[in-house]
Amino acid sequence: MADKEINIAKVINLNLIDLHLNGKTKKDVIKELSTLLKEDDDITNTQDFIDDVFLREEEGETGIGQGVAIPHGKSKAVKNTMIAIGLSDHPIPWETLDDKPVTAVILFAVRNQDADTLHLKLLQRVAILLSDDDFIDKLHAAKNKKNVIDLLCGNKGR
Amino acid sequence: MKIVCVCACTSGIAHTYLAKAKLEKAAKELGDEIHVETQGTIGTENALTPEQIAEADVALLAVDIATTGNERFKNIPTVKVGTSLVVKAPKQLLERIEEEVKERKSQKE
Repeated sequence: MADKEINIAKVINLNLIDLHLNGKTKKDVIKELSTLLKEDDDITNTQDFIDDVFLREEEGETGIGQGVAIPHGKSKAVKNTMIAIGLSDHPIPWETLDDKPVTAVILFAVRNQDADTLHLKLLQRVAILLSDDDFIDKLHAAKNKKNVIDLLCGNKGR
Repeated sequence: MKIVCVCACTSGIAHTYLAKAKLEKAAKELGDEIHVETQGTIGTENALTPEQIAEADVALLAVDIATTGNERFKNIPTVKVGTSLVVKAPKQLLERIEEEVKERKSQKE
């Protein structure tokens, strides 16, 4: 597990984190985060990707409770399997398991052809982290982008 | 209680593994033994062994899609739920299952 940090860093970087989302709706926020993925050159077409994310949204709620949502798009518009993370100072209405709005959104962008099992494994690890209440509390409290990456990489910091 | 479980969500990317982790945590807290197989985009992982299934008191299918290999559980009580219920309230779910298993056992006797 010594290479854990290097590994998770393959699916997230500082460009893919927004600590103060502007969007007030689910649609706006997914667009905001998708734009980050486009700017980071991880997706080829923002609208195609968003369409695929919303296809998944129709299949069931992606709000997992505790103020966190994990929308995901498996899409041919994805070049690199990555995650984008947005935190918000205001609640965003979302379909969630506890019927409460969210303030943290983790958008999974997954390549259509899963040639790369390594990246899927890393996404799994992120999903597993979300089972931990302590992780979720710390994610909501993250003060800067580095904080967020450290959290994901399992560096507890102080 | 010994549980064998299969987790599978619609896209097989996130909820499957979140559900697995939540179940493992809840089982540990309750003193239950659980083995969780995942059927996701990446394929089947942590496949249940015939021994694990033979020893289990109950099979839990936490699935949103049709999964393969369900015939393996034909000899044990089987409970089927969606992954969202597992993510939402894993401990309550296991407690409820335990009660049901006990009831079924006492009915047999």
